[in-house]
Amino acid sequence: MDDRIVRQDTVVTRIIDGSITIDSLKEFENLLKIFPDNPGVHRVFANFLAQEKPFDAVDNYRISANFFIQAGQILQAIVSKIFEWRLAKPSHQEEQEFYSDLHKGSSKEVPVQRFFAGLTVEQLIAFMNELTPRYVPAQSMVKKFGNRETHLSFVVSGALEQTTHHPLKKDEKVREKTKKDLMENDFFGEIYPFEEEKVSQTVIKTITRVELAEISKSMLTKICRQYHDVEPLVDRLHQARLESDEKKFSKIVRKTVRHQFPTQVNLKVFQDHKDRAPLELSGFTDDISLGGASVILSAKYQIGHSFNLIGRNVKIQMCLPIESIAINMLGTVVWAKDVPLEGKTTAIVGIQFKEMTDTDRELLKEYCYGSEGEQNLIWSLWNSLLEK
Amino acid sequence: MREEQNTDRKPPPQIWAIGGGKGGAGKSVVSTILAFWLSRMGKRTVLVDVDLGGANLHTLLGIKSPLKTLNDFITKKSEALEDICIDTEAQNLRLISGASDVLSLANPHFSQKVKLINHFSRLDADYVMLDLGAGTSFNVLDFFLAANKKIIVLTPEPTSIQNAYIFVRNAVYRKLSRLSSKTPSLQALIKTAMDPKNVLKIQTVKRLLQFIEESGGKDVMDVLKKEIEKIRLTVITNMARDNKEKNAGRIVQIVAEKYLTIQSTELFSVSYDRQIRAMVSDMSPLIKIDQSSHAFADIYEIASKLL
Repeated sequence: MDDRIVRQDTVVTRIIDGSITIDSLKEFENLLKIFPDNPGVHRVFANFLAQEKPFDAVDNYRISANFFIQAGQILQAIVSKIFEWRLAKPSHQEEQEFYSDLHKGSSKEVPVQRFFAGLTVEQLIAFMNELTPRYVPAQSMVKKFGNRETHLSFVVSGALEQTTHHPLKKDEKVREKTKKDLMENDFFGEIYPFEEEKVSQTVIKTITRVELAEISKSMLTKICRQYHDVEPLVDRLHQARLESDEKKFSKIVRKTVRHQFPTQVNLKVFQDHKDRAPLELSGFTDDISLGGASVILSAKYQIGHSFNLIGRNVKIQMCLPIESIAINMLGTVVWAKDVPLEGKTTAIVGIQFKEMTDTDRELLKEYCYGSEGEQNLIWSLWNSLLEK
Repeated sequence: MREEQNTDRKPPPQIWAIGGGKGGAGKSVVSTILAFWLSRMGKRTVLVDVDLGGANLHTLLGIKSPLKTLNDFITKKSEALEDICIDTEAQNLRLISGASDVLSLANPHFSQKVKLINHFSRLDADYVMLDLGAGTSFNVLDFFLAANKKIIVLTPEPTSIQNAYIFVRNAVYRKLSRLSSKTPSLQALIKTAMDPKNVLKIQTVKRLLQFIEESGGKDVMDVLKKEIEKIRLTVITNMARDNKEKNAGRIVQIVAEKYLTIQSTELFSVSYDRQIRAMVSDMSPLIKIDQSSHAFADIYEIASKLL
């Protein structure tokens, strides 16, 4: 695994993008103790269950879709629902309820959200029936320059790099190239206007593993013929993409992934025997919620098999950068995983919080609820402007 | 007393506040050298240590234990701020030391802060430089918002940039909250919006303004928008080791423009300087720094441009 990814992406992101594999039911159950309301973890858990325990998978796809709706992530909720309905065909009433829930939680901040919010229930279901989700591994070519444009693709999770080759201008000998990163809720595919046959002017490669939800041009055309008010929504989506390409941010924002800033953590892991001194470890955490955190231990520790830590009580001191203070909590290690870091093997431990003072809880709440968009942009700009 | 004489004709001093969230970014060093250069340019300058919980600015000026502090003024032992100004070795530069010995002053009441701010603007000086404490408490934010020039100091580290941005964000929300203090429903909405996971899904100032407008409050939205436009920031990236690191302030500028609708930000940088670090460790007066120091020269340039 790339150390850079280890250091910068959150544990949840890495579970979602597949760079950390969870391969047992018990491990997922422990993970959900730390991230009980994380839609991405429920979604990956549902994928894990889909073949062996389809009924449980249906439940987890449903839970995941509900949490995605609560988080305003419409596209991700739709994809979870597609998988749920592939396993258990919905009734008309269930379709109506999903549509209604989607609209209740509907944020219209990004073009994709505005597109889905503009569809009627029949149009949405027709669209979902033709939308095909697929995973593409990290560092893979998705589209080459000159490929025929055949699909409209939405980014459900992960990050891609798009390089656009601009037409030669007068007196120019070399085509100008601009790069832009695509992240979740972005989309690509020059399929509109439908009557024009286009070839790709871009090269698109994945940075992390990516989940795309795609619809073919022919199916989209068919839906637009059947429901005349869908085409103006496609037109608006197309216009929004053209406008976003012209924005200044697109040229400087590079890797764009969800991120919480690493937080310094000191741990005292208590041993089974009272006489033995507690194990003192330090590391940083990037996935923190009020219920728990995952901590990446410093590379200097050689603790052997990390699963030996599972079940141990732990005292956590977390240094919050925002207020220059530390908060203290008691918890239990419920999940652990060996990972490579800086050329060595260390561990990620998942800790479920048990006790903390009301003051510390308030501070943690304030820290956890920092706006994701702001943090993502700061981190992306850090990568593009300062990282060496 | 000079403070009383100043009330008639002389224009009030320009108040510059230096903040930026977490400690260690170099706020006190930048304030001290900036104040020093203003005084060298012939401007009568008063440097004020407003870190009411952990004042230490006097040590950077070579003063071991100041005889008078802000505490004397707040507890009414001294009637005017002029009485607690301490002369320094630099001509035209005086210091008002903070009140680190009285912890209760770390959180003065809003009216006490208003009183202090009014007194700052009555000082017999051309410039008053407020070195704010660490953190983003209301205490620090209120002094920052009251200043004519709002300066943020950060270092080229992710946490420092994040702290600086959160400082600005909290300052904007604090301003909106104070502006809406007579309209409880609006104030409640602003407080709700400060929790990014609020049920209304208002996650940015931009969205908050839209929400107010959509709820039929276009006039209110216009007023708030204009007030935010009045916030003009000066962001100084301190301890920059190369040209790339000078970009740290730009991050705060871009994010504040996108999410807080702050339109005007001036950017400066100060080079990393080993000499300054050594002087701070040795508690040597910063105003005795070797004139060849790059950081010293950078701050001179900043002072000239900000005047």
